[in-house]
Amino acid sequence: MPMTSALRRTARYLVLLALALVFVTPLAWMVVTSLKDYPDAQRIPPSWLPDPVSGYGYEQILGNSANPVLRWFVNSMLAATLHALLVLVTAATAGYALARLRFRGRKVGFALIVATLFIPPTSLIIPNFLVVDSLGWIDTLTVVVVPGAASAFGVFFLRQFFLSLPRELEEAAVLDGANQWQIFIRVVLPLSKPALATLAVLSFLTNWNDFLWPIFVLFSPEQLTLPPGLGLLQGAYVTDYPVIMAGAVLASVPVLVLFVLAQRYVIQGVSRSGLKG
Amino acid sequence: MADVIEAGAARTDAPPPAARPYRAGGSGRFTPYLFLAPYLLVFGVFGLLPIVLGIWLSLHQWDFQLPNRPFVGLANYAELFSSDSAIYSDWWQAVRATAIFTVASVPLLVTVPLGLALLLNKAFPGRTFFRAVYFAPYVVGVAVIGVLWRFLLDANLGLVNRVAGVFGLPADTPWLTGMPWAWISLVGVTVWWTCGFNAVIYLAGLQDIPPELYEAATMDGAGTWDKFRNVTLPGLRPVLLFVVTTTVLASANMFGQSFLITQGAPGTETRTVVWYIVQEGLRDNDAGRAAAMSVVFALLLALVSVANFRLFRYRED
Amino acid sequence: MMHSEMSRRRLLGLGVGLGAAATLTLAGCGGGDDKESTASGNGGKEYTGPKVDLNLWNGFTGGDGDIFKNLVEQFNTEHANIAVSVATYRWEDYYAKLPGAVSSGNGPDIAVMHMDQLATFAARGVITELDDVAKALELTDSDFAPTVWQGGLYRDKRYGIPLDMHPLGFYYNKAVMQSAGLDPNKPPLTKDEYTAALTELKKSGVQGFWVSPFQFTGGMTFYSLLHQWGGTLFDAEVAKATFNSDPAVEACTWLVDMIKQGHSPANVGQDADYLALKSGKNAFNWNGIWQINDLKKSADVQWGVAPLPQIGSRPAAWANSHNFTIVKQRSANANEVAGSKVFINWLSQHSLDWAAGGQVPARKAVREDAGFKALTEVGALAPELDYAAFPPAAPGIGEALLTFYQSFNEATLGKKSPKQALDDGAAKATKQLEDNRKKYGN
Repeated sequence: MPMTSALRRTARYLVLLALALVFVTPLAWMVVTSLKDYPDAQRIPPSWLPDPVSGYGYEQILGNSANPVLRWFVNSMLAATLHALLVLVTAATAGYALARLRFRGRKVGFALIVATLFIPPTSLIIPNFLVVDSLGWIDTLTVVVVPGAASAFGVFFLRQFFLSLPRELEEAAVLDGANQWQIFIRVVLPLSKPALATLAVLSFLTNWNDFLWPIFVLFSPEQLTLPPGLGLLQGAYVTDYPVIMAGAVLASVPVLVLFVLAQRYVIQGVSRSGLKG
Repeated sequence: MADVIEAGAARTDAPPPAARPYRAGGSGRFTPYLFLAPYLLVFGVFGLLPIVLGIWLSLHQWDFQLPNRPFVGLANYAELFSSDSAIYSDWWQAVRATAIFTVASVPLLVTVPLGLALLLNKAFPGRTFFRAVYFAPYVVGVAVIGVLWRFLLDANLGLVNRVAGVFGLPADTPWLTGMPWAWISLVGVTVWWTCGFNAVIYLAGLQDIPPELYEAATMDGAGTWDKFRNVTLPGLRPVLLFVVTTTVLASANMFGQSFLITQGAPGTETRTVVWYIVQEGLRDNDAGRAAAMSVVFALLLALVSVANFRLFRYRED
Repeated sequence: MMHSEMSRRRLLGLGVGLGAAATLTLAGCGGGDDKESTASGNGGKEYTGPKVDLNLWNGFTGGDGDIFKNLVEQFNTEHANIAVSVATYRWEDYYAKLPGAVSSGNGPDIAVMHMDQLATFAARGVITELDDVAKALELTDSDFAPTVWQGGLYRDKRYGIPLDMHPLGFYYNKAVMQSAGLDPNKPPLTKDEYTAALTELKKSGVQGFWVSPFQFTGGMTFYSLLHQWGGTLFDAEVAKATFNSDPAVEACTWLVDMIKQGHSPANVGQDADYLALKSGKNAFNWNGIWQINDLKKSADVQWGVAPLPQIGSRPAAWANSHNFTIVKQRSANANEVAGSKVFINWLSQHSLDWAAGGQVPARKAVREDAGFKALTEVGALAPELDYAAFPPAAPGIGEALLTFYQSFNEATLGKKSPKQALDDGAAKATKQLEDNRKKYGN
């Protein structure tokens, strides 16, 4: 018996490693390229390792004081964090109401919200521009935080999760005389940590990598977020691989760290005891 | 449609069965609306209002700056269906491209991440590391993914063909400019890039399945496959419906990959609907026409999605 | 008339109460004021009014932008009462972003634009007429190359003051030529020399002329050849696409045959032609003048640049030009307009420094300056100015140009024969032109 389980474990790791190789190799290429100098990155056939190892890409991004890269980073961090929080609050409350509460217009309301998912978000850029313009939000941080939070994705997502939660604890709380708000905050939210952490990461990331919308609504160089900002460090006609890849590395690392931290909540959710029916 | 959506929530065999929504003690009649208020506020202003504005735009020849923005009725819609208009062939070409990509990518994007999630759901040392590795590509923005793969997949200079040559495979596959290779590349890159997205959703969903169910199944002598069919799949059903729906929509909205990697080549065969909408609305300054396309496209997607919801309802009946 | 237009818009706005539509209409009509605005200015000779802050937008990202910013700084120190600040966006975002910015009051005072965009933005009322600048500064086509100067006109009115021109040039890898037994200091100049050189290169195992199916650079190469064969993309009124004419099909066939004859691999990717030139896998590449500075960054590449060889019956080269324009404001400020004109005039005269950024100055006096003659490589392409084939000035032309490039893509990738691809493309482009004439009124 222990033999087969050891065998199984080895097989699992082999599969995991093989898959990891597929996922990581292109990214490794990205990191390698970020460490090349300009001519080296264009060599054909390409060199597998940087020769020489060069800080050229990173220097172009961080070394020029004319580019407020740090400012862009802070803008992006603030925007993505506030955006994720806003999505969590609005989607959790609405998702809960749609999953658990009975009220007039519930079905129609939900259908309407989901139906908006079908409209390509990119096609709403101009109408949304008119809206944020009339609110005076153009070229402010708010404009990259709030409008995206109208997405039905979060509400649909959390509603589906709340639906699949077992009801016993909620029912017990009702018997104890708890009201809806107490049930929501004390019972449902703690049970939903995996879903909430997942939604937070996905919302953060969507906002972090958003490109098209910020281009349209941000004008001052110091108001830009990271993706449009990094785009400016490129010449118009030549692909500067090390600069692009160094920018990608700098922008990805914080998000990966965030993801690993969020995983703690996803795993914590498993330990749910006392639920036996 | 509400009924159809509701059906996705039904769990036939996972105890305790979902009851009808209830009204608990100690809350007023308006409590549900208070719960909805924050979202509805954002949704109304930045969701519904822009949609209404968009429909209004679609009835006009509309441009930010054109001094004259006449009301044109349904002309923008008629163009899409009249074979002698300037955009007819491009529009349907884009619809076709989008359909091909969606049909080819959705099955993979639904199943592969599920496999990954199941692999990663068990407790074992290094689990977080592997989760991060599989999620990592999605952390990188599409602009970089595009440049990266365009370089790797270049027919004459790229590393992929080079490696293929080393293994004795054809070393001149036109990954980006020939058919069906361009589609294979776009689907492949998309699966690689966004697998982690659906995998973490599945992972979160798997946490909601009570471990007791697996224990009970084990005691009944169920094998791995039986447990997957009778415990995992039913338990994931609401999440699965969510994943399928959002993946269909995400694939139908594909734009960055083909814009950057194949650049629409060959010809305009890989130019998608959303790309075309962006081009008409934002580059060629015809927001009215772009809005009309968006409305027609949304209706097409709604049609597909209703079919999708029905499928989920009837499969287990 | 403006008022009734406004109220109609309000009504059509479904009572959304945003007022956005109304504001936008206002912006669109704001142009009427700038006749008066010239009262306090004198077309750009000098500005003596109170201090003005001006915003300038350009698409000069990366290294080009630094050169431009230095010029602006120099201007600012020389002009106590004008302060210009520069914002840079990538060209592909720039044009999409500008209309929204202008209509929301976030637009610049001065915008740099490609020549083929001028008509579109003029027709849409985004930019203002500059005839008085030309008149006050006594600028005529003899101060510029006629081809460039004419390109700034739309419906006989001037909207752009040209800064530079950037043509397609002929780049060759000297090391590759040498190893094929060719004289690296005598690049081929004619069709016969060109094909003979390619044959020699082929013998030495080099595919010497990679034909890219994409606009950069294959499409622009075809654009040049089409004009060399005596064809045009559109008829004189820009009402009909003519890029399926016999000369056009012949030019396209000649280029596509490079692949059939083994002088180019099939399926050349974006940038692959140029990367192959740099790494010695390709000998010849027709590429933009902007690559001169890029090649200078790669010390180990031995390269040369010359005007395009004449393959067809006459010399011709794809070219475009950066132009200065003045943007209409929601509320026109005469001082700002006057200051903008001073800036444009000053920068145009100081465009020699800009030439170091890898562009041919539009202004003749600057081209004849000894300083410009010292810029050997950029100077090598200056003769192309006489026969440069600039895109026509017609609003919305970008769409039809895109169709042109897509047709070439299909022909190069073997999806269609050159004739079929160009016939299909021209039919579509003609419809697009028709649409544009309806939209912009003609």
